[in-house]
Amino acid sequence: MSRRLALAGLTAAGVLCLSVVASNQATRVPGAQYDSDFPNEKPGPAPRRDLSGIWEPARGPGDAIQATGAKAMPDSGRPEHQLPFTPEGLKANLANKPAWGPRAVASALSNDPQPTCEPQGWPRLILHNYRTAQIAQTPKQMLFLYQFNRKWRNIWTDGRANPKVDDFLEPRWWGYSVGRWQDDYTFVAETVGMDERTWLDNVGRPHSWEARVEERYVRRDAVHIDVTITIDDPTFYSKPWVALDKLALRLQPDTFDIREMECSPSEFARYQKEFAEPAAGVGGQR
Amino acid sequence: MLNRLLLLTLGLLITALAFPVGTSAQNYPRVTSADGWPTPVWEYPPLTPQTRKPAPRRDLSGMWGPVAGHMGGVQAGGVLSKPNNGRPENQLPYTPYGLEQYKAHKAAEGADAVLPAENNDPRNNCEPLGVPRYNHYNVRLTQIFQDPVKVVILYHYDNRWRVIWTDGRKLPKMLDGGVEIDGQYREQRIFGYSVGRWVDDTTLVVETLGTLPEDRVWLDSTGRPISDQVKVTETFRRTSLDELEWSETIDDPKMYTKPWETMKLPMRLHNPSTDLMEYYCSPQEQENYDKFFGSAASQK
Repeated sequence: MSRRLALAGLTAAGVLCLSVVASNQATRVPGAQYDSDFPNEKPGPAPRRDLSGIWEPARGPGDAIQATGAKAMPDSGRPEHQLPFTPEGLKANLANKPAWGPRAVASALSNDPQPTCEPQGWPRLILHNYRTAQIAQTPKQMLFLYQFNRKWRNIWTDGRANPKVDDFLEPRWWGYSVGRWQDDYTFVAETVGMDERTWLDNVGRPHSWEARVEERYVRRDAVHIDVTITIDDPTFYSKPWVALDKLALRLQPDTFDIREMECSPSEFARYQKEFAEPAAGVGGQR
Repeated sequence: MLNRLLLLTLGLLITALAFPVGTSAQNYPRVTSADGWPTPVWEYPPLTPQTRKPAPRRDLSGMWGPVAGHMGGVQAGGVLSKPNNGRPENQLPYTPYGLEQYKAHKAAEGADAVLPAENNDPRNNCEPLGVPRYNHYNVRLTQIFQDPVKVVILYHYDNRWRVIWTDGRKLPKMLDGGVEIDGQYREQRIFGYSVGRWVDDTTLVVETLGTLPEDRVWLDSTGRPISDQVKVTETFRRTSLDELEWSETIDDPKMYTKPWETMKLPMRLHNPSTDLMEYYCSPQEQENYDKFFGSAASQK
């Protein structure tokens, strides 16, 4: 018995050690730099009209996971987080069955398109588990190379206007994006024409065909950008609302390794079969 | 949705007719479009000794498309240099295990194609294609971006990007099921680990290893196999301002008895303002296609 107890104790100690290691790993991507690494930092001035570089959430890799909805407006049930749904917007919201938040259903019963590896689209990419991205500027573009699924996205900066949103326009997962420098340190882009099949966030906030998404990047200093995302969708929301409010990103070394983070349909199917469906007491219903 | 697509197609046709193609000093066709969103143009003015300009030094950046046009990099019938058409010169040097893997793959394309409903191509479930298959699946307009430490390839299909380090780092050491970097084990990756070096001012040679195992990825759409023991060598040779030759050789001792050339794809520089229509894999759309077309065609 005493030997068993000793073994149990050793095991418990091992689990504790492992959880400390796991916790350390969870707060740091290898090779990344966070604000907490530079407690007395006085960053240099921001370069003019420049977002280029590799950017990671400044407060740690988990700062923009947003499991329970857009970071500035999580689905917390609190009055201040109630969205200004129109009747049509509320109907669309209730038709979405998220696996997260207060309205969560068992994941096997969710109709969230993301876990099955449907394209996330814009702006869900930045409102769901947003981590590292490289931003590259060309004379005509602002290119974003995202970690999740290694997707790239393009914002035109050559002066073209966004297309008119009507029945002639082809819906796109990323929509159509154009941007401009509002001043030497503020880049503002607008996206339209986003495919209505995509959700805005993890808790099933919907958007309509008429939605416009503004993204605002403020180059605060040499090593920071603050990102703000605003949803303007008069069909589904009675007024614009801020989904991400000045999310701080920190510049990383240019040799920083952006690791892979992939959605694989076959891995998801295996997860469904082995865990999600037994947990929900179903077999293959969705 | 269907109406929108039909209207869009009509709109594109009208735009193409209304705004004829012109040529620019850059040797790529420059079109004007009514809405400022020019669509791809595949008719190039021929290069002459007068218009062919020298390649810039150590620079691959730009929007590139196959010289042969929008179908030039599709490779539905197998990798460009060895299409899977049953001809003796295109037989591959399979190992016994490689041949066994090939036979287990039920491809929807190539000499041994099965009916659509019977194929087991991982692509048709929207699984990640892996390297090198991204080079062999519908390569169309491909943007290359470069900074002082890397070259980045932006594939049209599925909007995927891939990094090639050019900062002098060494290629990782291949291990069983992963790679070793600075004495540490690292995971296998869909895009592997790529390192490039300039062998002269216009030629970048890229080596890649640490890719996914054979139960996850194929080499091409005809079911040729590839394993995680492969070393892929690509050569990007910028022969002039407007021309780039992208070639690839694979050395996969698990599947093939000797290295062989898979691709030699001549590319032309395109208008950097070109708007690409999205080309995505959606599992739901694939399921609908299989249900209404693939299975119907297979009478299932």
